[in-house]
Amino acid sequence: MKNGEKKEMKQVKTGKKESGKKESGKKIEAQGKNQIKKQSFEVDQRSVYKCVQCGTCRSVCPVFEVVGWESANTRGRMLIIKSLLEGRDPDSDVLSSLATCTTCGICAEKCPAGANPPKVVEAARAELVKQGVVGEGQAKLNATLTKFGNSFGETKSRLHWLSEAERSEIPKKADYVYFVGCFDSYRYPEFAKKTFEVLRKFGVTLLQDERCCASPLLRTGFLESAEKIMEHNLEELRKTGAHTIITGCAGCYTTLKNDYPDEFRVISVPEFLAEHLEELPLKKLDLTVSYHDPCHLGRHNEIYDEPRKVIRAICELKEMKNIRENSRCCGGGGGVRIGYPEISLDLAKKRLEDVPEGVDYLVTSCPLCVRNLRDAGGDVEVLDLIELVALALE
Amino acid sequence: MTVNADVIDELREIVGKRVSVSPSELYCYSSDASQVRGLPDYVLRPLNTEEVSRIVRLAYEREIPVTVRGAGTGLAGGAVPVKGGIVLDMSGMDRIVELDIDNIQVVVEPGVIQDKLNEALKPLGFFFPPNPGSSAMCTIGGMIAYNASGMRCVKYGTTRNYVRDLEVVLADGKVIHTGSRMLKSAAGYDLTQLMVGSEGTLGIITKASLKIAPLPKTRKLVMAAFESAELAGKAVVKTFSSGVVPSACEILDRVSLKVLKRYDPNLVLPAEGDVILFEVDGTENSAREAAAQVMEVCSGLALTLKLAESEEEMTKIWAARRLVGAAVSRLDPTKSRIYVGEDVGVPMKQIPKLLEKVQEISEEFELPAMKYGHIGDGNLHVALFIDVLKEDEWARLNAAADKIHRTAIELGGTVSSEHGVGAARGQYMELQWGPAFGVMRTIKNALDPKGILNPGKLGL
Repeated sequence: MKNGEKKEMKQVKTGKKESGKKESGKKIEAQGKNQIKKQSFEVDQRSVYKCVQCGTCRSVCPVFEVVGWESANTRGRMLIIKSLLEGRDPDSDVLSSLATCTTCGICAEKCPAGANPPKVVEAARAELVKQGVVGEGQAKLNATLTKFGNSFGETKSRLHWLSEAERSEIPKKADYVYFVGCFDSYRYPEFAKKTFEVLRKFGVTLLQDERCCASPLLRTGFLESAEKIMEHNLEELRKTGAHTIITGCAGCYTTLKNDYPDEFRVISVPEFLAEHLEELPLKKLDLTVSYHDPCHLGRHNEIYDEPRKVIRAICELKEMKNIRENSRCCGGGGGVRIGYPEISLDLAKKRLEDVPEGVDYLVTSCPLCVRNLRDAGGDVEVLDLIELVALALE
Repeated sequence: MTVNADVIDELREIVGKRVSVSPSELYCYSSDASQVRGLPDYVLRPLNTEEVSRIVRLAYEREIPVTVRGAGTGLAGGAVPVKGGIVLDMSGMDRIVELDIDNIQVVVEPGVIQDKLNEALKPLGFFFPPNPGSSAMCTIGGMIAYNASGMRCVKYGTTRNYVRDLEVVLADGKVIHTGSRMLKSAAGYDLTQLMVGSEGTLGIITKASLKIAPLPKTRKLVMAAFESAELAGKAVVKTFSSGVVPSACEILDRVSLKVLKRYDPNLVLPAEGDVILFEVDGTENSAREAAAQVMEVCSGLALTLKLAESEEEMTKIWAARRLVGAAVSRLDPTKSRIYVGEDVGVPMKQIPKLLEKVQEISEEFELPAMKYGHIGDGNLHVALFIDVLKEDEWARLNAAADKIHRTAIELGGTVSSEHGVGAARGQYMELQWGPAFGVMRTIKNALDPKGILNPGKLGL
């Protein structure tokens, strides 16, 4: 990436934090829901018109690569949003155009004009929700999350992976809290267990009643539902007295860091591990692995070096074809896995084509990426970073 | 145009699900990177020549306009269906059919992306030299249809110089080949060259045989700052006269330099002056010799002079130069670059004059303008910026662009050097060409009597 573009990325991010993302989080707490929507849309309107339709994003949009229609690439989406701003009624294809964006952010990374299409798409989705234009998958997601507090409709405790005795030992107060997330709670409890085993030695606690971080709702435009669930989590977080939240899910990470108020330091498991490498009795493994950058950890938050540092402390790292800012999306984000599973899997298959020859594992640090890349098949086993760390701690 | 259910059925018979009449989809095909707008009635994504031929035959019978589109990166509305009808999205025809290295040529379908072709050629030690700024996303078909080029054309020529043969679907659906794989031919009219730059008004390109070139072993860059644009121009003329043909010869005017420096004082560009970037390529010895020659020519004329030989240093300089289109927006996020009046060209010696005139226009209409371009071939890019939410700025923008176009013609130049005419510059064709434009009309009428191929373009 060019220097200037990088700077612009940072400016956009800073801008969001100051006037959009962070403030919207604060407004959840202090001023009520309507202001969040209005404000974010106003910010994005300027961003919509920043797009001069040069087509740079078209050449990198992973969804377009597998779908082929202009409406399925970033420029098409920006055009459709422009048309809505100018008064055109949303039809069903508006929905499918906007809903197929994984919000991977590679378009924002490459945009010479400094537009931030994922944010525009999210704002437009919120507007559509307001107008009642909602896809079946999204409606179901909203209903499930609102009712069960998780995206899977699970009714058992989020801490089912701990024994009764272990649960009773969870400290009520601590400086650090491990935010587990829906995926690790219900689909990969072994990740949660392994993560907590490492973290508890550093005095880390768990929330008594964690709910979904609200990322799926925020990405798909259900701001009102998101607000309620975020308020609940905030109360739970405050109860622990923690100053730092640690999470192993890229989706939870970006949400907690950028959509919640600035009350807590938010770090990812790779960051925490990289910070405490010397305190971990890791042994070297005779393995060569590759690493997939989750979009919401990498491009959205610039966490590139920490997971690599952890991997290199354990074994050899052989990079994928496209990495860091240029990493290709696994297809799991932005509600696409739920709404358009075929497209989502096609993206994952494409991403697996980037895996180099001769690696033992493909490592990533997001359970959603793990899930999608595993579902796509492929010859290489996919591991979460914590699994690799656990292997090195055995 | 009105959408006809029979037509949709017939089109579906040809391309199956690869036809759309969805309002949202049509909207996405109603523009390119220019300000031209026009809604199609049908969008189709053909995958082979036969499908294209059948579609065009149907369009010919029903007299439906057909507009061809590649990646839609054009800056003149060439791919915009201003008269409605069918848009043919050729990006699915993206196969590199043959890398015929023994004959130093390739055969490609029109939807191949320029960078992808070069990615395939690089390991073989070759490249396809025309390199527009949009090479990461533009298609070869679009490059041929608009005779695209880029900063290296000063040495390597434009797309036109690389096309040997085209497979073309004519207005009635007939398929012809315009040339051969021969290096030369003295038999008959050169239909290949007629098709290059014809902007989809004479036929639809479905395959192309292209000459390629060996990759240069190395490149070097001389960056020189001059007290005035006139002196910079003089240095360029002297460089060519000394026998050096740079592989790029770019100018960045002093106003643009100031903006860039304000945006980022650490950019690796001179502190002041009108800047010329001379790139030379070849073998290590020939490039070193050429760079030394450029340094010698410029030494008596330039304020500052710098030779960059490492890849890293050259990359930094080019990256700084590329910021020119975006720096204004980054200094003031309410300002967007709008592509109008952006591609004029004049005889090389007139570049300083054109720079001066454009600066006057920028001041007259109170619009920030960045000026940069390929001084080696007389092509000046003007980047104008406005707040797109303010209507009066649009009016001033269009007036400024009109004046820039007329100025270029007055200086003996052209309204477009490498982006094309499309619907954005058609009104200047008569003025630029005089009676020759009548000949163009005659050719158009002969090849497309019903006027279905990209109507409303080239001023025709």
